[in-house]
Amino acid sequence: MEFFNLSENSLLIKWNGEINSNLTKLISSYKDEISSICKNDIKDCVQSISSILIIFDLNRTSISEIIEKIKMIDYEKVSKNNRKIKVWEIPVCYDLEYATDINLISVKNNISVREIIDTHLSKTYDVLSMGFLPGFMYLGKTDKKLYCERKEKPSLKIRKGSIGLALDQTCIYPRQSPGGWNIIGISPVELFNINHKNPCFSKPGDKIQFVEISKSEYKSSKNRFDKPKLKEL
Amino acid sequence: MIKFIAKGLYTTIQDEGRFGYRNIGVPYSGYMDKENAKIANLILGNPLNNSLIEATLIGPTIKFEESTVICITGADFNPMLNENKISLYRPIEVNKGDILKINNSSVGSRCYISIKGNIHSDVILGSKSFFSQITKSSVIEKGDEFKFEVNNKEITHKYTLKKFKVDSNIQVLKGPEFECLSKKSIDTLINQEFSIGINNRMAYYLNEKIQDGVNSIISSGVIPGTVQLTPSGQIIILHRDCQTTGGYPRILQLNEKSLNNLAQLKTGDKIIFKLLNF
Repeated sequence: MEFFNLSENSLLIKWNGEINSNLTKLISSYKDEISSICKNDIKDCVQSISSILIIFDLNRTSISEIIEKIKMIDYEKVSKNNRKIKVWEIPVCYDLEYATDINLISVKNNISVREIIDTHLSKTYDVLSMGFLPGFMYLGKTDKKLYCERKEKPSLKIRKGSIGLALDQTCIYPRQSPGGWNIIGISPVELFNINHKNPCFSKPGDKIQFVEISKSEYKSSKNRFDKPKLKEL
Repeated sequence: MIKFIAKGLYTTIQDEGRFGYRNIGVPYSGYMDKENAKIANLILGNPLNNSLIEATLIGPTIKFEESTVICITGADFNPMLNENKISLYRPIEVNKGDILKINNSSVGSRCYISIKGNIHSDVILGSKSFFSQITKSSVIEKGDEFKFEVNNKEITHKYTLKKFKVDSNIQVLKGPEFECLSKKSIDTLINQEFSIGINNRMAYYLNEKIQDGVNSIISSGVIPGTVQLTPSGQIIILHRDCQTTGGYPRILQLNEKSLNNLAQLKTGDKIIFKLLNF
């Protein structure tokens, strides 16, 4: 764990080491602990793949005070934290009408379309971080068989709900947008709703499990599918 | 009520910003030049974080359907009320039917038009600040109308001694990946002149490149004022509407003062990074 003063009112905490579910879990536990002990002093606590960025209120605290508090956190307690992890079940339709790049990945990676779908469904993914667009989740890691570079030329219009692949990650587009990920499916889930007090059901540290639905199921649930099913592990 | 007869180049409603949602990818937004925006509110006795109008390079023309008091701060756009030139950093009385023409800036990029009281605009996730993916509109359009509530608090700050100025010196701290830079790159970066290229509320791109670019990093948090360096050597200074995480090395970080100052610079203007000790 390494501290870095990013600006007058922000502190970056970095973790070195292999990126895996254990690290994500550790960072999530730290984030929860920091959010609770510094609750009134921080404006935002941004969890990423191997770091946390804390933006605090200079009128209430100082960088040294925040570092002191974080150093007091008991590593043993945080690392053993058996808090329940939220696993969200996200329905995906892999029909070729929406999976615009699935054939390309099939050719490039020498793997059948069916195998791409089964491989994508075979894992539960960590929500590593959010960004790019409000509610855009970076999910990882995907199976080696699905590894692919971003598209050289980004698509100008990717449909809302599209499921993408790039490097060892997968993602869901919360709205229509340009983007460089390879699209292999689409979900009817509303990922970001500004009318809700909590606009996004999921947050970094949660997990996502994809489940396959048919084209007709996608069409009938589109725009009505507000909150996906939740399991707690 | 006020009505926009002309919209200007990029006119928005802004307040301090949208806080507490960065972990789920929502940018801060908010006044580009916080210092001048707050002075406009201070002079009128508004709460410092009140929403106001931010104009960029070419200002809007606004018709007032009610009497009120306004204050304009920031860059001098040569604003005129019914064809008469008006002063900045002062409360200005406007009457029903008056027309405020903001005009264009010669020095500086942004001015703030504060109205005594409270402009009505949708509050989304705790803020009125326009942002394309959050609020209904991303810019004010011709014909848009906004109601406002006048507060009757007495104006105590008659004027300030504030003089608007822009500075080519940009104060920076070392960023988390500063150490990735070669000695040669650091010499090119610090105390040398750069010129501003494409810029908007999200980011300022610099025209000159750093010879040896650096590899991408594991995506991590960024904030307004973070200076990124791409593998091709492009320098990008993030501003108020910037995204929440990024994968380019963060080589420098602007302080708040320089972030406000940068908001007033425009394409072609020169800047020099001055490294501060933290």
